[in-house]
Amino acid sequence: MPDGDASTLTFKLVYYGPAQSGKTTNLLRLHEQLAPELKGEMMTLETQGDRTLFFDLLPLGFRAPSGLLIKFRLFTVPGQVAHDGTRKAVLSRADGIVFVADSQRSQETNNAEAFKTLADNCSRVGLDFQAMPLVVQFNKQDLPAAVPPEEIRGRFSAAPWPLTFASALHGNGVVATFELLLRATFRRYAADSELSSRHALDEESFVRGALGPAAAS
Amino acid sequence: MNDSFDRDWQLGELLDERQLAQAGSALGELLGRELAICDAADHVLWGILPPAARRLPLVIELEPLGWLVADVPEAALHGAAALLTQILRTQVRFKMASHLHVQAMSEDFETLRLEHARLLESEARYKALAEQLEKRVKAQVAQLEERQQMLYEAEKLASVGQLAAGVAHEVNNPLGFVRSNLSTFARYLERISELKGQLAAGPAAWTALDLDFVVADSQDLLQESIKGIDRIARIVAELKSFSNVDRASEEYTDINECLRHAAGVIDGQLPPGVNLRLELLPLPPLVCLPGHLNQMLLNLLRNAAQAIADAGRPGTIVVSSEADDAGIHIRINDDGIGMSQEQLDRAFEPFYTTRPVGTGAGLGLSSARNIVLAHSGQIELASTPKAGTTVSIFLPVAS
Repeated sequence: MPDGDASTLTFKLVYYGPAQSGKTTNLLRLHEQLAPELKGEMMTLETQGDRTLFFDLLPLGFRAPSGLLIKFRLFTVPGQVAHDGTRKAVLSRADGIVFVADSQRSQETNNAEAFKTLADNCSRVGLDFQAMPLVVQFNKQDLPAAVPPEEIRGRFSAAPWPLTFASALHGNGVVATFELLLRATFRRYAADSELSSRHALDEESFVRGALGPAAAS
Repeated sequence: MNDSFDRDWQLGELLDERQLAQAGSALGELLGRELAICDAADHVLWGILPPAARRLPLVIELEPLGWLVADVPEAALHGAAALLTQILRTQVRFKMASHLHVQAMSEDFETLRLEHARLLESEARYKALAEQLEKRVKAQVAQLEERQQMLYEAEKLASVGQLAAGVAHEVNNPLGFVRSNLSTFARYLERISELKGQLAAGPAAWTALDLDFVVADSQDLLQESIKGIDRIARIVAELKSFSNVDRASEEYTDINECLRHAAGVIDGQLPPGVNLRLELLPLPPLVCLPGHLNQMLLNLLRNAAQAIADAGRPGTIVVSSEADDAGIHIRINDDGIGMSQEQLDRAFEPFYTTRPVGTGAGLGLSSARNIVLAHSGQIELASTPKAGTTVSIFLPVAS
């Protein structure tokens, strides 16, 4: 459940995925491309040779017509297998998740293992994985070794989660992924958090507020 | 408020009083004026709130988590606020990282603890499984033993049946001629009683009735009948020693007696052309189960007779016994068909038989070995194909 009081409502959104699949790059591009009413500095914690050790944090926000401040805190987890404890701690109390997969054929096993740890870790930190707003992004589509979207769609046609395709390095598909997550998040929590009834927000205004007017999605 | 790394940090948490005082007085020196640092709710955390002063928000994420208030030009205040924000930013990074680290460590510890608990649980499961398996193996072994015992009983019954058939044959033969002798003797008595009516004729009547022959033949008939009845009595006596096969009490026994009994029983059942010779030397008495030994010896003799019959030529079974300081040696030798190496190797296996199905369960030698082992003895087989087999038994005499 999003965290908050009478004046603010905070959504914790987590970018999860195998090592070096582009989670931090997703956040960097969002920071460049989004223009919501409120946009904080991107906070990058310690890195080790370009690998995230703790997390990255991008704060975004806008004010609902009712005056309620809607905040989004976008986190990345460290992808390396060794940091599972940190991954779990960052994941706890998440309200929505983007799973960033590496589209390269050689990374299929890593993707599958990371996805399994996502499901496992969700249950360990007390999150209902089945009900969790989740978008699966196949990143690095620009690489020659990437599995093409048609094949991925065919293979995962039975999966209940929306699939998106991106090349975060070039800024493609990053906002679209975030928008899908925003929509799923709105549908999941709108009723519980009285977003429409008390705060006069519908799905479109929720998405527009988070993306800002300039964002080309 | 929760204790997690990603909570909304308050200014008072990021800089304690000492740090606030250091930062505040340093900024005061730089600005050359009184200043105040306030939290998000506008409470003064450090300094003195100057009247009619400028104020700038201190923002880390989206919303101000405090205010810097001083009566200085805007540019100077901006610089001071930027400096303080930078300090706060460093603090928040440090706080978040250290809290996350603690959280992750405890998560890892919890994971290890769970893993340990799971290992213990699976160990317990395997232990239970092993116990269960052991129980099942025991039950199956018991079942096998029971079956084996049943087969052993069946084999014993079969040999008892064989014995009974032999005995019947043995008894029938003397019974037949004793009966025939007695009816002849009855006719002779009639002839003798005719003498009564011819007494007047004197000695001529004796001759006419051929009573010399009648009396002499009667003697023969009665002698032969007595022999026949003695034979029956002997067979019955020998049979008696088999009637208590399962008597479990140990007795002092002369093994030679057992050999004679067994030989006596088998004697009448020997196929034509098979002779039996006993070469028995005096033996010390042995504490044993005579019923079991009798049955074993009978089985061995039967095997020997069968081996000669299988060879299709006449032959002799030689049963010899002797004693030394250690104990009693018994040898049963036949010059029959002999055994191949494979048969020798497997001879003592339960249920191994070379006989057609239904004529033997293949328990003879294995139960013989069990009986010898029960007497702390040894049993060995030596055989040459087509030349014969010797079974050697050693029974120790308790000193």
